[in-house]
Amino acid sequence: MRPGLLIGKTVLAFAGFMAVFPLAWTALNSLKNNVDIITRVPRLVFTPTLANISYIIGRDSVMTGLYNSVIACGVAVLIGVVLGLPAAYSVARYPNRWAGDIQFFVLSLRFLPPVAVAIPLMVIWLQLGLYDTLTALIVTYSLLTISVIMWLAIPAFQAVPKEIEEAAFVDGYGAYSVFWRIALPVAARSLIGAVAFSFVLVWNEFLIALMLSSSNAKTLPIVASELSQQGMNVPWGILNASVVLLSLPPLLFLGVLSGFLNSVFRQKKT
Amino acid sequence: MPRRSSLPVTFIVPTLVILLILSMVPTLYAIIIALQNRELSSTAYSYVWFSNFYDLFFDRRFLNAVWVSVKWEFVTVIATMVVAIGLGVLMFEAASPRMRNVYCLLFIIPVLLPRVSAAFVWKFAYHPLYGIATYPYRLITGGLIFDPLSKPATALFAVASVDVWQWGLFFAVIVLKLLETLPPQPIEAARLDHAKRWQIHAYVTLPMLKAPLVSLMFVKMIESLRSFDLIYVMTRGGPGVATETLDMYAFSQGFIESGKVSYASAMAVLMMIATVITFTMLWKRVQA
Repeated sequence: MRPGLLIGKTVLAFAGFMAVFPLAWTALNSLKNNVDIITRVPRLVFTPTLANISYIIGRDSVMTGLYNSVIACGVAVLIGVVLGLPAAYSVARYPNRWAGDIQFFVLSLRFLPPVAVAIPLMVIWLQLGLYDTLTALIVTYSLLTISVIMWLAIPAFQAVPKEIEEAAFVDGYGAYSVFWRIALPVAARSLIGAVAFSFVLVWNEFLIALMLSSSNAKTLPIVASELSQQGMNVPWGILNASVVLLSLPPLLFLGVLSGFLNSVFRQKKT
Repeated sequence: MPRRSSLPVTFIVPTLVILLILSMVPTLYAIIIALQNRELSSTAYSYVWFSNFYDLFFDRRFLNAVWVSVKWEFVTVIATMVVAIGLGVLMFEAASPRMRNVYCLLFIIPVLLPRVSAAFVWKFAYHPLYGIATYPYRLITGGLIFDPLSKPATALFAVASVDVWQWGLFFAVIVLKLLETLPPQPIEAARLDHAKRWQIHAYVTLPMLKAPLVSLMFVKMIESLRSFDLIYVMTRGGPGVATETLDMYAFSQGFIESGKVSYASAMAVLMMIATVITFTMLWKRVQA
């Protein structure tokens, strides 16, 4: 083997190790008693405990945070699907002279600094009496999900072969049933990827949730970050367990998203 | 496609109206608040017009935050692109198709993590006494203490490394996929001309991918603006103001230290104007 190749493989193996090891170590720490975590020499062999995990699952604040996260993200993604997919289809298949401007407008929403949106929204929701409610969070997140789903779904609909849709029109389908029965199912794989991506994005969102909630509507990232603000008094194992719980849902989409990446780049090739 | 159908209008108009409302209302409101003197502690307020903006230019902490943000933007974008291109090319050259799939899966994991999780994972790892990332240093030096997050010189880079850990590895996957879409003929031709492998990439493949790589950098520049979660969890802007970016300072002015909502909003508005102008210009350029 050439020495260059060997070095390359070593660097890659190290990078692969670095990608997963910190998270794996955190998962391992969540199974440890405090004495096994606070050691100068990291301990690989220890007596595992489920105390941290059961503590986390038993805490009301964590369960409320989980519930809030699931509802806020789930409903916002649903709104994003209902409003974003048809709009994306319309831009992809019935382009008019504003199509470019619409696409740029949707993208430019991503330029807005979250803090610039969050401060006025906090004042607005306070005035409407909706501050610290899930409604406020869902409406705010919808801006995120609609724009992201639209942005990713436009190329997905464009990739559907036009001939299929034209054949359906010849067969007497109307414009709406072509969308329902042809375009949606054919583009489904890419669309699911786009939707999963928008879910991960809002699930991971922190700043807006922090500013729009004070007690009732706290999402899981906020609850987890608060656990750490208590400093070293909180056993590290519990903190590690809360990090693992927070990280699990996005990781469930690992397969879907990597398939989505593959399909995006396969389309480019042809 | 049928000419006469109500579909384009019924599908796009409601969505655009909702998007316009959801984005314009907060934007305009942010400007209005910035021209007032609202505080969290009282409900009374009046218009002070541009005095918040005027004060900002003499606020040394604000100027520091601008500088930290610019530094953050440069460090994270450049490091991410270097890591992405380096690892992408390495995977293309040194990994078998099966190993490529394994690495692609592994490299996507960090970016999927909530920023809060990633920040915690590394905050533990960087702990001077018990952290796993500082352990090699303790081992080599026989127990000396290295605390990257509490030194002004290293704190920004320590936090930036987490950002690069998330995005650099993810972009490496995309760079690999881009390399795989290239036609093999130019690479073959260069090889027949006895070009070395690094030369093939430096002079043939990467220039061919210039447009998508520039778009990728553009995406990273936008995502780098969202540094708040990492910094909030890892350093809270400290030590001192060494990692206090604009959004961190706006947040602490508005909600932690003084509750000066209008002052914070003035900062956010300046940030918004700067990013919208910069990115619109960059985007038109990328598209042209």
